[in-house]
Amino acid sequence: MSSTSQKHKEFVAEPMGEKAVNALAGIGEVLGKRLEDKGFDKAYVVLGQFLVLKKDEELFRDWLKDTCGANIKQQGDCYGCLREWCDAFL
Amino acid sequence: MSSLGDKTAQHISALLDEYGIKHGPVVDSTRSLYEKKLKEAMAKEKKFQPSSDKTYYREEENVTYVYTTPVRNEGSSDRTTYMRPRPEWSEREYDHKTSYSRPNYGGWETVDEPQMYDSPSTYRSSYLQSTPLRGGQDAPKAEKSSRLVPLWVQLVVFLVLAVFLYFVFSNMETNEFLKEIGPQ
Repeated sequence: MSSTSQKHKEFVAEPMGEKAVNALAGIGEVLGKRLEDKGFDKAYVVLGQFLVLKKDEELFRDWLKDTCGANIKQQGDCYGCLREWCDAFL
Repeated sequence: MSSLGDKTAQHISALLDEYGIKHGPVVDSTRSLYEKKLKEAMAKEKKFQPSSDKTYYREEENVTYVYTTPVRNEGSSDRTTYMRPRPEWSEREYDHKTSYSRPNYGGWETVDEPQMYDSPSTYRSSYLQSTPLRGGQDAPKAEKSSRLVPLWVQLVVFLVLAVFLYFVFSNMETNEFLKEIGPQ
């Protein structure tokens, strides 16, 4: 990724704590709502899923697409955001 | 295959390994994803079987191409036939994927569709469209006389044209003609 969004930078700058799932890069209102409906109501739950998928890009992208209908860009943004957060804090 | 939903997590895991699908633990949140992946892998596996027929079809295509007519048949079975050692120079022209539109030997084989060499079906249809010189449908042995009619006819026409032009040119060497072109 050539450049990261402001949202991305903010998310990876600190531990996520109790941040909402909307705080993830690539996840806006619509996708956030869909994730919450499926039970992923906090960013850390999505993180949990990311970790259970062994931080694998393809699996995570597929999962995100199936769960909330994220497109390629959104998948990439979310994956990049979580991966960088893990690199920094995990 | 019985429904994947009935299988144990361990079984799903084993199946994923079988298909070479990279995966994590099969838990509630990941199960549906892995089931979907397994379904895709199974469907893909089934798809591979009919493709073996395709190769056979290609070989068949290859055979028909051998004694082919000048028109533009090289389209379909390009790869393998290009490797064939063709003594015919005109044939080789056609073998070139890119430049086969060049040869205008007799003027008939105006090769028009460069992107025909995709599927055998297009080859068939264009082959049917090509009226002149359909020579080719016999045995695949025709390495020498694959052209049959075209080649020597081309040469004859060429010679006739050359002779004709020579006559015209020789006749042009008159005063009258020179006078015409003189004061320009």
